[in-house]
Amino acid sequence: MNSLQQILFLLGKDLRIELRKKESLVSMAFFGALILVILNIAAGIGKQVDADAGAGILWVAIIFSSVLGLGRVFAREKENGCVAALLLSPISPGEIFIAKVLVNFCLMLLSQLVLVPVFYVLFGSNFSAGPIALVPILLLVNLGFSTTGTLISAISAGTRRNEVLLPILLFPLILPLTALAVKATAGALAARPLTELMDQLEPMIAFCLIFSAAGYLLFPFAIRED
Amino acid sequence: MTETNGSAFLSIDGLRKSYGGLEALRGVDLELQRGEFLCLFGPNGAGKSTLLKIIATLLRPSSGRVKVLDYDLDENPQEYRARLGMVSHQSFVYQDLTLLENLEFYAALYGVKDPRQRALALLEQVNLADRYDMPAGHLSRGMQQRLTIARALVNDPALLLLDEPYTGLDEHAAKVLRDQLQLLHDRKRTIIMVTHNLRRGMESATRLGILARGELVYLQEKSAVDHASFEELYFQHLEAV
Repeated sequence: MNSLQQILFLLGKDLRIELRKKESLVSMAFFGALILVILNIAAGIGKQVDADAGAGILWVAIIFSSVLGLGRVFAREKENGCVAALLLSPISPGEIFIAKVLVNFCLMLLSQLVLVPVFYVLFGSNFSAGPIALVPILLLVNLGFSTTGTLISAISAGTRRNEVLLPILLFPLILPLTALAVKATAGALAARPLTELMDQLEPMIAFCLIFSAAGYLLFPFAIRED
Repeated sequence: MTETNGSAFLSIDGLRKSYGGLEALRGVDLELQRGEFLCLFGPNGAGKSTLLKIIATLLRPSSGRVKVLDYDLDENPQEYRARLGMVSHQSFVYQDLTLLENLEFYAALYGVKDPRQRALALLEQVNLADRYDMPAGHLSRGMQQRLTIARALVNDPALLLLDEPYTGLDEHAAKVLRDQLQLLHDRKRTIIMVTHNLRRGMESATRLGILARGELVYLQEKSAVDHASFEELYFQHLEAV
């Protein structure tokens, strides 16, 4: 039994439950779309927004809605002590971490398949670039958010007020990533070539690498009882 | 798990565990040979569950050590865990997965050769085969406990830890559990069970122990135990709390 197989079993189990219940996906997509509609009303229906404002609006919707899915992934493991069952099994905590990061990554990606088109319908008339231009930025944020969020949700899942603690701990940590993503997205929406966005994309890659390594190393301490 | 002749299967040496200022275990020493079935009794808060969690590597001791054959529980716990089974207060099953999916998932995680076949065989053993496609969340408390027991056996454990396994079981389900334990015991599996149920504990075990206030105050072969005096001793410790 190799590590990759064990990670895939865990990932498959989580995705099977999620696709069956659709708890996280539906709430993430619905909440994100709701935020976009509210911001559309606030900006003035039919009014055009520029690339800078549009980028901010998109990331507010994605980041806030993604927290809903993040909390649920670990809450499910805590129910009936399943996290203890995983710790009792031959799978290492590092492998559990990688599987959970992949689950969160997939959930974010699936919810963005709804949110990005909704964003373009509501705000997109003024943008020079289509949704494809956003793909590298979305993938990087999803990875950075998933690694950081998985670690923080493992810490907060063990507390009584985890739904409050999770965003309070998470948002300050992902602030640099979000700020870079907003700037890069503004550039992408204005149809600037990818090479011109490297000033933002490179530090985003560094963020992902640092938090992936930190999450992998710290996760065993975050999920243990003692 | 292989074993060299003469060495203990499990040895616990001066085990202590503190939660802040509260001492849950105060120097527990214990040795078990392969195939022994130890039943530990004790009042609430005696440290029974803490002891099991430390043996299961879910908790780290404050001091002392647990040795299971030649496994290094700190450096390479994965190999040890692959041959360990545990029934806890919690069911360890996913409510949204069916019974078959739950057992298949755990069997795959443990590297069992044919996870589906193993899952079906276990469901048969605990008399839940006819409900294989039912979500675990729809089961009654007793049926959940039977599923929990099947889950703990998914890797054919060499060491089985049971924390109050008879809780919520009706007479029929209790018999199913007792038969499973007997089967494991016959196959030289080592079992440690923690329970308040004197009758159930005494009918299955080969050794009896009492844990009180974090100390192992009594440990004896069942064959050498006088049931009446053991009961009296146990109730004395219950009343002392």
